Amino acid sequence: MEESKAYIETGILELYVLGQLNAQEQHEVEAMALRVPDIKAEINAIEIAMEEYAVSHAIQPTLGLEKEIFERIAAPETTQPSAPAAAENTGKIVPLYDDRSASTIKTLKFALVACVALLVVSSVALYSAHDKLNLANQQIASLSTDREKFAATVSYIKDENKDLQEIAAIAADPTWSSVKLAGTKISPQATMMVYWHKKGQHVMVDNTKMALPENDNTHQYQLWAMVNGKPVDLGVFDAQTQPKKLLLPMKEVGNAQAFAVTLEKRGGSVTPTMEKMVVVGAVSI
Amino acid sequence: MAATKKISLTEDDLVRALRGHETIAIQALYDMYSGALLGVILRIVQQSEIAEDLLQETFIKIWNSADSYDSSKGRLFTWMINVARNIAIDKLRSKDFRNSHKNQDIENNVDFIDSQKKITFNADTLGLRDMVTALKPEFNDVLNMVYFKGYTHVEAAEELNLPLGTVKTRIRMAIMELRKHFN
Repeated sequence: MEESKAYIETGILELYVLGQLNAQEQHEVEAMALRVPDIKAEINAIEIAMEEYAVSHAIQPTLGLEKEIFERIAAPETTQPSAPAAAENTGKIVPLYDDRSASTIKTLKFALVACVALLVVSSVALYSAHDKLNLANQQIASLSTDREKFAATVSYIKDENKDLQEIAAIAADPTWSSVKLAGTKISPQATMMVYWHKKGQHVMVDNTKMALPENDNTHQYQLWAMVNGKPVDLGVFDAQTQPKKLLLPMKEVGNAQAFAVTLEKRGGSVTPTMEKMVVVGAVSI
Repeated sequence: MAATKKISLTEDDLVRALRGHETIAIQALYDMYSGALLGVILRIVQQSEIAEDLLQETFIKIWNSADSYDSSKGRLFTWMINVARNIAIDKLRSKDFRNSHKNQDIENNVDFIDSQKKITFNADTLGLRDMVTALKPEFNDVLNMVYFKGYTHVEAAEELNLPLGTVKTRIRMAIMELRKHFN
């Protein structure tokens, strides 16, 4: 009893209640309080006095603060701080967090509007691009057709040019004989040119220098060589205003005194129909 | 204070509800003690806006660390007051607080005591203050330095240039006076 009274009088219990003791001193006081009811009672009396002192200095908080606290407590456990420092942090973070989520929703709304606008613009652009693509495809198709036409023309012109060069070469070459066939009584206006290479036995009909009446579909002209008084078939040809080839190679013959053309049935005849002979010309030596 | 709607529970019920994380516990604690806790915090940090922030933190801390309260070591309200005081004193000693409130550095706090009283002591407490100061002003000053200003009793002794034993005695005497007054 005396011991506890002396202990109480040191003032350590007041310091204990005021939180002024270090951990070891606190444990000592707590151990004493457990053992000695007087000390426990004394601590309790000091606590009540300090509590009353605090209550007598009470200041009512702003209305609404209560609500904020309850909201924070009711909020998910993520805002659970353990250290005072952490508590201090959450005190500032929680409203910020709310603001941030509100601003995030706002941002998302703007983003949504922007996305819709972008979608509309993209659709228009895509449609217009689609149109232009169609047009471009059509242009490409027509250009491609044109190109094919030109290629055909070029190829035709090339062939023609080749034939013309050959004609020019034949005219300049003394080994080639040019045989001019003149019109007969039934077609006095007709005329035609045949080139003959005696040694090589080549025979060519020059379409550029041909002036024969156009044959119909059932008939064809047939070229004959007069070899020792006998007609030899050199093949058939058509007389056209737009000939496909300028120079027409015929069957070969090595010895001929004259060339003649008769109008025969399509495909030619074995022997010439003499009354249908349109042009004839002798080989000049 | 007129408070018909306010919740009031016995301490045992409160402790049980608080440990069980029942929100009614924190509501009851708020109704019963928020004013007293704010009074303590405000006297330490001196700014009502900061004080209310710290009061929030205090209740959050009480809610979250209810398990660390040991009823065998002291009363619940005393534990709560100490939580509030620790939070307020931590704030008072934090770097950001001291930087933004240079004129309230620890060194200057004693000079403030009188002016602070003018600002923050409400009419309800005038009688008490009169009582305490009339009796033993020097005892009361030491108690207030420790209880409301964030001083440790060692710092208070240095500040007042008194032996530590004298400071302890004065604190004890001041509390004895309070006990007499409240009993």
